[in-house]
Amino acid sequence: MSKLKYEKPVISKITAGVPNKFGLPAKQKIISEIDGIPVPELMEEFGSPVFVLSEKTIRDTYAEAKQAFETRYPKVQFAWSYKTNYLDAVCNVFHDEGSWAEVVSGFEFTKALSNGVNGSNIIFNGPEKSEEDLTLAINHNACIHIDHFDELYLLIETTRKLNKKARVAIRINLDAGIYPIWDRFGFNYENGEAWNAINRIMLTENLEMIGLHTHIGTYIMVASAYGIAATKLSNLYMAIHRKFDHWLKYIDLGGGFASKNTLKGAYMPGSETCPSFDDYAEAISNAIISSEIPHENLPVLFMETGRALVDDAGYLLTTVLANKRSTVGRRTMVIDAGVNLLFTSFWYNLGVFPSKEVSSHVEESTIYGPLCMNIDVIRDAINFPQSKVGDQLVIERVGAYNMTQWMQFITFRPNVVLIDLNGKAHIIRRKENLDSIQSFEVKPEK
Amino acid sequence: MKITEEIKISDNGFVFNSRTGDSFNLNPFGLELIKQIVEGKDFEIIRDVMLDKYDVDDLTIEKDFYEFCALLKHHQIIVQGDPLDFK
Repeated sequence: MSKLKYEKPVISKITAGVPNKFGLPAKQKIISEIDGIPVPELMEEFGSPVFVLSEKTIRDTYAEAKQAFETRYPKVQFAWSYKTNYLDAVCNVFHDEGSWAEVVSGFEFTKALSNGVNGSNIIFNGPEKSEEDLTLAINHNACIHIDHFDELYLLIETTRKLNKKARVAIRINLDAGIYPIWDRFGFNYENGEAWNAINRIMLTENLEMIGLHTHIGTYIMVASAYGIAATKLSNLYMAIHRKFDHWLKYIDLGGGFASKNTLKGAYMPGSETCPSFDDYAEAISNAIISSEIPHENLPVLFMETGRALVDDAGYLLTTVLANKRSTVGRRTMVIDAGVNLLFTSFWYNLGVFPSKEVSSHVEESTIYGPLCMNIDVIRDAINFPQSKVGDQLVIERVGAYNMTQWMQFITFRPNVVLIDLNGKAHIIRRKENLDSIQSFEVKPEK
Repeated sequence: MKITEEIKISDNGFVFNSRTGDSFNLNPFGLELIKQIVEGKDFEIIRDVMLDKYDVDDLTIEKDFYEFCALLKHHQIIVQGDPLDFK
């Protein structure tokens, strides 16, 4: 006679408190496969932890965003935000879909070039551009978004040295109703600084002013803020035409769309509260179309959406290392993926799910990473079913920023795998090893 | 190790401690285990019963049993004479 399935014995205290309006989900969500490949199979082949990206989800999400904008506005161009995830395989999916590149450093610029992006299809943002970077951008005819006056004068000097023209836009910070206002990047709209910068640029022979750019913030949950920003940029667009009889080529509303992750402290899950691409597109398109800009002179609308396009496509597969009890009896669990791999765990309550059917008994738990550091907490409080050592878990919505902001610390950074449209898994970044780390080190000779 | 007198355990896994006013839920395995503790069985006997009945190894049983007992102690459901002796 076969034996019965075992489950860990548990006793949990019933605590009276503020009733939960939503209650517990009727059934624990399980992620047993990604794009048709079972989680155990992926972990057996590529190890644990391992990042897995779904090409299908990237393309589907991109198509959704593109459709939202193109059905509302005649000229839309997306530019892939390299800093969000600059693994070549990921960038190439976006470029294949038609995205330009949006970069914020000389490193990212050269990476975009190496991915085959035409220099004139690169938007060069960011507050740090050296003379060398500007020279590279000018020589490749990129769209240089000027961040401050020192950069403007360095650019003028560089164009003189090269005796070449540069195509430029300025970055504008403005009050779109999002507080605190991101005023550290670009020139301010309300106090006239942006208008001064535009006048300076328009009077400079070697600079061709082609666009206006703003990036109002990140994880913006109010779509109407983009409408305010688009209205202000449209006003400047018309002011430039009136004064200089010059039509700019584009207005760039930057990025900042929220992904469906849930911010820490949020009452409702992000999947319920974040605006859809349609909401953002509606606010932006309406603002530009209903502005003074004549329809025949409507600018191209650039979008630099990063997070919202790739977050959902990324998963981190991890293994349970230990179960513990804190001194107050609280259940804690240690997994093999730490905050050094999951930068976004500092501001999101990341979704952590079992990969197979588990006990229906959930208990409020804390999930720790494997680092010998007190801050290594993946989830402070999560209702989680009983798990045993070796159980495989899936952390969802980790495609944005984690694979660029991660750091090598205590452990090696793991394999990153992309599942292609045919359901085949490819390593797109190999796991580090001792050699890869030590190859940068030099021992002083004695 | 014995269950304190103030503890009442229902057949569906509800536990009430009339001394502290606390109440608890047990999962089915927790209920089965606590019933055997109530009967005064020691760990070796409980382990053998569970090994016969369930698809589990002896080390897992031992680990889970002592973690469970630590929780019972934390919630003042069991009293324990010698802190180093769970028998």
